[in-house]
Amino acid sequence: MNLAQQLVNGIVLGHAYALVAIGWTVLLGVARLVNFGHGQLYMLGAFVTWWAVTRAGVPYGLALPLAMAVGAAFGLLMQRIMLRATFEQNLVSIMIMTLGFGYVLHGAAALVFGSTGQILETALSTRDIDLGPLWLTWQDAAIVVATVAVFLALGWTLERTRVGRLVRMVAEDPQLAQLAGIDVRRVYYGVFAFEGAAVAFAAGMVAPRTPILTSMGFEEVIMTFVVVVVGGIGSVRGSYFAGVGLGIFTALFGALVSPAYTTAAAFLMLIALLVLRPGGLSTGAAGGAH
Amino acid sequence: MTADGLRTDAVLRVRDLRVAYAGNQAVAVDALDVAPGEIVGVIGANGAGKSTLVNALAGWSRGAPRVAGDIALDGRRIDDRPTHERVRAGLLLVPEGRLVFSRMTVEDNLSTAFAPLAAPGRRVYAREEIYQLFPRLRERSGHLGAQLSGGERQMLGIGRALMLGPKLLLLDEPSIGLAPMLVSQVLQTMRALARSGLSILLVEQNVRAAMEVVDRLLVLERGRVTLEGPAGALRDDPRIARAYLGAHAA
Repeated sequence: MNLAQQLVNGIVLGHAYALVAIGWTVLLGVARLVNFGHGQLYMLGAFVTWWAVTRAGVPYGLALPLAMAVGAAFGLLMQRIMLRATFEQNLVSIMIMTLGFGYVLHGAAALVFGSTGQILETALSTRDIDLGPLWLTWQDAAIVVATVAVFLALGWTLERTRVGRLVRMVAEDPQLAQLAGIDVRRVYYGVFAFEGAAVAFAAGMVAPRTPILTSMGFEEVIMTFVVVVVGGIGSVRGSYFAGVGLGIFTALFGALVSPAYTTAAAFLMLIALLVLRPGGLSTGAAGGAH
Repeated sequence: MTADGLRTDAVLRVRDLRVAYAGNQAVAVDALDVAPGEIVGVIGANGAGKSTLVNALAGWSRGAPRVAGDIALDGRRIDDRPTHERVRAGLLLVPEGRLVFSRMTVEDNLSTAFAPLAAPGRRVYAREEIYQLFPRLRERSGHLGAQLSGGERQMLGIGRALMLGPKLLLLDEPSIGLAPMLVSQVLQTMRALARSGLSILLVEQNVRAAMEVVDRLLVLERGRVTLEGPAGALRDDPRIARAYLGAHAA
């Protein structure tokens, strides 16, 4: 077994985890919301991309923004339904509603796309990069590059732009933000649209690695949850490192111990970490704050 | 709007304002006007409804009160508008307590959500002017809100409000927790702002300090205005002296 190859796999997998989690990181950091329909939005993003590429003949580069637009639209719809619960910060109600939304989405997708597995192939996923004994696809490389770019762009937007400052105001104290003249409702809509678009983009990038099914989503939502919690609820930088760390851990554990127990081991680590550092890896300042 | 014989140039015009929490009436003010460049003080004991009053004017609350009545800013009704729209119209509340973003720098705290247009009776302050008004904020510009003293927070809260182009500034207990010298400094700054045309409604527990800068004074008791008049006349009023200035009744 090649340890270096496993490390490469882990780095790619970790960036995929981080990319899939970024929407929820912002959602939690800015609006203190959860979205248990996150995994089904991922599934939707993957199938819209697949449909656009294989059925409508849209080039992959255009299928991605299309999937993002669909994701954003679903995000806006979800926020419209949950707006009242959002303002009341009724987390239990939001949890149930998003979970329910996920199941509805699953059912609807099975009707539209069928329940057989599909392969989303792109020009990048079928071509390999050989680095001596190491191997990865161009799609893998694109995932790493896109993830780094998205995290840098998000961090920069939150820290350095006017919109970012306003979003941080809403994140810290939505009521005081109203007195600063901010339409908090619009920010909440914006954040949910971002969540939908971001997870759809992640799906379009990551889904070519594995066969896609309308029943998928559970794995994605759980891994996202782990990444967001380990990263330190809502911290952008923390999520990146948590995602990459989890990916490397999963790959190495799978190779060295047993792939059958990686999820259990990841959760053991999560529980241990939460006992030792209840705030996650990053306790505070970074990025989207809490 | 002259039918009731009241001045029509008022920046703020409030009629029949009723605020209730869970069915209990907290404020019942029949009429309240603030003229351009005027500072109106609101005093009263703890729980008299002073904060409830200014919060209701801003359409803002951490609770969920029922508010009824007419509130007009510059002759335009705003009582059906959400908080951020009242802010954009020029009604700025500097609340009591948490008034800065503690995880953001002073500099970032002073970023604005919109660019208000200057107009007669509406001056929009630039960041540089805020730093001239409160030099302390410039020295602290890279510090987080959480690191500021009470006085600096107050300056920052007022500074942000000024950058949003207030027609009317609602100040809720700006002197709370401040050293006496700072209290008079903040209030004198308010006087200077009013001289340049800004209207201010000032809620204060520090009656003695408030008396020095306000033009008119309202006394609120259990949500109702029980006494009202020019500051000069009320300063010697035995009822004020007895209840709020700690003087002994003769």
